[in-house]
Amino acid sequence: MVDELIIKTTNLTKSYGPHIALDNLNLAVKKGATGLLGPNGAGKSTFLKTILGLIQASEGEGTVLGHDIRTEGDAIRARIGYMPEYDALNPDMDAIHQVRYSGELLGMNPTIALARAHESLQYVGIGEERYRNIGSFSTGMKQATKLACALIHDPELIIADEPSNGLDAKAREYMIQTLTTTVRDGDRSVLMASHLMDDVERVCENIVLLHKGKLAAQGAIEDLKAIDREIEIHVWGGATRLAQALEADGLTVRREGRVMRIGHVGEDTTTRILACAAQTGAQVRRMHEYEASLEDLFLVIMENLGYEVKTSEDLLGSPAFARKVDAPAHMGGGGA
Amino acid sequence: MSEQPIELPPAADIEYGAEAPVTGQGRMEAAWGSSEGDEDMSAPQATQPTSTGHVFEQVYKPWQGTLNPRWMRNWAILRHHLLGIFKKGHRPWGMPTRLFVLIVFIASLSDAALTLLSGLIGDGSLHQLWGVSRDNLYGHVLGFFPRNVLYYPIVAALLVGSVISEDRQHGTSALYFSRPITRFDYVGMKFLSVALIQALVVLLTLALYYFAEIISLGRGWAWIMDTFPLFLAAFVSGMLLIFTYTSIGLALSSVSKGKFFPGIGLLSIVLGTKVLAVLVSTLFDREILYLLSPYDCMAHVGQILIGTQPTYDQYSWTWSLASLVAMNALALYTLSARVSSMEVTRE
Repeated sequence: MVDELIIKTTNLTKSYGPHIALDNLNLAVKKGATGLLGPNGAGKSTFLKTILGLIQASEGEGTVLGHDIRTEGDAIRARIGYMPEYDALNPDMDAIHQVRYSGELLGMNPTIALARAHESLQYVGIGEERYRNIGSFSTGMKQATKLACALIHDPELIIADEPSNGLDAKAREYMIQTLTTTVRDGDRSVLMASHLMDDVERVCENIVLLHKGKLAAQGAIEDLKAIDREIEIHVWGGATRLAQALEADGLTVRREGRVMRIGHVGEDTTTRILACAAQTGAQVRRMHEYEASLEDLFLVIMENLGYEVKTSEDLLGSPAFARKVDAPAHMGGGGA
Repeated sequence: MSEQPIELPPAADIEYGAEAPVTGQGRMEAAWGSSEGDEDMSAPQATQPTSTGHVFEQVYKPWQGTLNPRWMRNWAILRHHLLGIFKKGHRPWGMPTRLFVLIVFIASLSDAALTLLSGLIGDGSLHQLWGVSRDNLYGHVLGFFPRNVLYYPIVAALLVGSVISEDRQHGTSALYFSRPITRFDYVGMKFLSVALIQALVVLLTLALYYFAEIISLGRGWAWIMDTFPLFLAAFVSGMLLIFTYTSIGLALSSVSKGKFFPGIGLLSIVLGTKVLAVLVSTLFDREILYLLSPYDCMAHVGQILIGTQPTYDQYSWTWSLASLVAMNALALYTLSARVSSMEVTRE
């Protein structure tokens, strides 16, 4: 994959009176799939509207696919496919004509738009249902239709705003697969704004994390995860003593009962952990390198920024299994 | 494929004498070969093929086409709304709307039909009543109950009801504004499409009425030269009517999320102000409130344009024109302000 930038902003600022929605944003989004993350009010919507050329930035500049966001909004919108978060379909129209119309609005010839509408709907998994009124569609089918509207002109960049929101497991899986295929086989780029970290992690290789209009993190997910590399141990007997010994040895410890995660500080980290265990008489029954999920990373970064965020489980309305993950002390967290 | 051995009769059992019965075996052997050496042969037996059905394979198909310029996008919006009145696959206008437009279209052709009739039967009195004249041209567009208060305002109310409000209601504004469609193009094409459907009812029937007179009575150039300015004035009055109803109606549609409020709002403004002005005029002999009525302002200006006897005699027609301009300006301002605030990300 070529490392060309599809979105680039320099000191991008957007303010509404005294409220600063985007604050000196310096972004560089590469070709491929990128997740746009951030809690409510982080500036994601403002950012999307700004890069679509729909609202003028107060300061700074930016380009999308090489077009200036301040002066070439039309050219940008002709080359991207936007899949909105909310319903954007006429329930009284059938899917095939709705998608065809979305193609015509881009300047496609009606006959060509109809042919492409069939292809797009087939691609997103809407078969013979394409002749049904959208009003009778399930949420998954509506999401798929919106994606077909975005894909009809084979755009270079697809901006998908919460594409898997409200979908059941099967529809969600299919949506993720479709976006992945679009990136992998279609060689297209996807900018995916979502609260569902698992989905972002499965589709995207990069993320951009916004917080209160500022850029909190950006880069490859794997690289960002490496920042918080940890070793997880399961301890039997003397866990508290071991935790104290590890901290006395200068290691960072996050503990949940008998499970501890110790910050990786170098090649001798495991040796130091075992030495502390031997010294305190604690049994280390299991030891492995802990691979943080994107959600962990998100929570850690957001909590370090002093922002109380919810897990995706919370956002989905089932907080029972929400994990309690604290930030490491060196990043400003208090430890568990 | 499974193979099963076929048992063949021993070769010694076959007789070739004259008295031997005809079994057809010799001919079969000539045709298909001898059975010699076939004793240990095995014949293939085909098994029923299993149907696996069609397996859906998700394949991304690229498109190398070129997108047409701005005029084509605008034409798409116009076409979508206009063709929706006539057939499926475009903007789904409600059945009551389509039915009412058809009824009003046919009813608006009544003067054209009677003109044709008077021409065909040669009845002068009928022609005097229905033929093209200053008053009748005015009447086609702005006068004659129920056309003035029921036909055109209701057609306008039904048409404007959901044209913009539906985009707020269903979020379809995102479909427009995430494409290279400007707000001006969006509202301009919606305005034009609603106006053109009204023009079919008001102006096309006016033109048919005028041409019906030419055809049925064989009018010559002199008559056309005489009456064409009147036709043109009636045409301009009709355009004024359509423009005003559309701008007020779309302004109401842009502040709403449903189709009931804009429709009933337009009717209330058009009919309510008129009823109020009539009451005040009747009770207090003061006509000034007609300046608040869009219909009466248009009627006053139309009377001056076409040259019929004005029915508003307490103030100059310029006041009506000024009032009309102010009403349209207010409506267009509201429309542009509301459309500017329409969102792509969420409403």
